[in-house]
Amino acid sequence: MSEEYDFDVAIVGAGPAGCAAALVLAQAGIEVVVLERGQYPGAKNVSGAAIYGPVLNNLVPNYWEDKESFERHLTTKKITMMSEARSMTIDVDLRDFNQTPYNGITVLRPKFDRWLSEKAEAAGAMILPDTMVEDFVWKDKQIVGVKSGEEELRAKLVIIAEGTNRILTEKAKLAKHPHAHHYAVAMKETYELPKKQIEERFHVTGTEGISNEILGHSRGIPGGGFFYTNENTLSFGLILNAKSLAEKKLKATEVFEDFKNHSYIRKLLKDAKMIEYSAHMIPKGGFKNLSKLYGNGVIVVGDAAGMALNAGLYMEGMNFALESGRIAGEAAKKILESNNYTKKSTKIYKNELKKSFAYQDLKTFKRAAKFLENERIFAHYPELINGLFYRLLKNNGKPREKITRAAIKHIITRTKILKAIKDVIGGLTSL
Amino acid sequence: MSDAKKVMTIDEKLDLTKITTDHNYEHITINPAICKAKCTTHDCVYGCPADCYKFTEGEDAEGPVSYDSVACLECGVCRVVCPHGSVDWHNPKGGFGVEFKHS
Ligand SMILES: Cc1cc2nc3c(=O)[nH]c(=O)nc-3n(C[C@H](O)[C@H](O)[C@H](O)COP(=O)(O)OP(=O)(O)OC[C@H]3O[C@@H](n4cnc5c(N)ncnc54)[C@H](O)[C@@H]3O)c2cc1C
Ligand code: SF4
Ligand code: SF4
Repeated sequence: MSEEYDFDVAIVGAGPAGCAAALVLAQAGIEVVVLERGQYPGAKNVSGAAIYGPVLNNLVPNYWEDKESFERHLTTKKITMMSEARSMTIDVDLRDFNQTPYNGITVLRPKFDRWLSEKAEAAGAMILPDTMVEDFVWKDKQIVGVKSGEEELRAKLVIIAEGTNRILTEKAKLAKHPHAHHYAVAMKETYELPKKQIEERFHVTGTEGISNEILGHSRGIPGGGFFYTNENTLSFGLILNAKSLAEKKLKATEVFEDFKNHSYIRKLLKDAKMIEYSAHMIPKGGFKNLSKLYGNGVIVVGDAAGMALNAGLYMEGMNFALESGRIAGEAAKKILESNNYTKKSTKIYKNELKKSFAYQDLKTFKRAAKFLENERIFAHYPELINGLFYRLLKNNGKPREKITRAAIKHIITRTKILKAIKDVIGGLTSL
Repeated sequence: MSDAKKVMTIDEKLDLTKITTDHNYEHITINPAICKAKCTTHDCVYGCPADCYKFTEGEDAEGPVSYDSVACLECGVCRVVCPHGSVDWHNPKGGFGVEFKHS
């Protein structure tokens, strides 16, 4: 290595994006360091969380043989619509997802991030926890390293994997100050429940598990709840559109407590003991919130680049983080080979990323973020559908109505039809 | 806990989260003069998931809201929702702040 540089590549942040890049580079024998501000990788991080098995398998083949890597694999998906006193759940049993590499797995971030960082470390990467990068080292208009306190660390290429708070990405002039409407606030609670009770309550065995997305009952604030089973814990939380809270003068913490007190949620969490409360901000994602992906001496991956999708029923970011991190690692190998670190060369990363599902999905779903700002989806429709079922099922001593007639009457009296048609079309084209 | 209706206070919940406070460095500061002169929406109070922002009471308050970092979960919401750039937001120094174990 040339004397000017301490490392070939310096990565800021040991989340899934940073760790994926570090693993790929270390496996190629490249000298790479990961700087992480947390007490350990994962200490600052929060997710639901579900990951796609094939994406992880692409990075760590046969990951499931390592019991530390995941909590449960998903075989049941539930979607619930809640209104004040009612709820309706669609329950999809996906036992064909029992095959490895598993379609979906659940993880807890403090454990998962640490596991993935240890993989990178074993391959030869250096992981430095307790280290907050405050700024870059610049040489003319090129980034040539990072600064933490008094210390400077020089690297040929810097990969920003700092997550949703784009402090450094802004400093590198690759993103502007954030707009509130691009973000959602997410609150999470983790509960302890003995394995046996999880198995009985959710009808799962072995490492099988369930996910449950929950719409409605968030006091008209666009957003949605999530629920996942882990080995012997439950993950539960609520995601709310950040901008709408002040508009409605509702506090995030109060909306969450209210949501949690719905009888449907109380049943999910019955007898479970809360062991942690956490919160994080989620980029609503989509194409519009993408940062610039490369600059002189620098590339950006994962949430820092805005690569996430938060569309109520879809909540993804780790998949994009893992994939963009992996691609950044591959691209960095080529950039190092070219020995040119200007924009012309770092552009390789964007070109490679464009071919991947990560970029393609963001393009496909570019209207989803907009669709999710539509309050009717979150407040009106869950109410409507629960009301309809109430009407169909309630026995009031009179002859029952035909389902189609009841549905039409119920919907016509409660909805502006044109708006509803617009919402349906909007929904179909955006999702 | 049974399924009886119960609202947990945010303080009870935050007791479960490990946070190491840096007594030599405030990672977030607000500018009460800006809040007082410009703000009518107080987005920080509604958006913060740890209730670090509170409405102030009394005539002699510097601004309409006060901020206390002790329970900050480092989510970043206040930085993003404040419409007037009153929030000066930094990450805590390495090793300080929140330390999640099960999230
Ligand atoms: C409640 C919730 C539920 C979610 N559920 C899902 C889900 O089910 N599935 C899914 O795919 N995604 C989910 N997401 C999104 C997912 O968590 C993110 O997309 C993902 O974490 C992004 O990974 P990353 O590596 O880009 O960033 P992060 O995971 O945020 O990692 C960034 C890392 O950089 C470190 N760092 C930041 N700044 C510095 C600095 N200056 N110096 C040193 N270190 C620094 C941080 O401490 C952190 O470790 C969820 C998010 C939330 C909040
Ligand atoms: S910090 Fe921002 S949002 Fe909060 S009161 Fe001040 S100006 Fe308003
Ligand atoms: S970063 Fe999040 S938890 Fe901390 S004060 Fe701001 S909004 Fe509250």
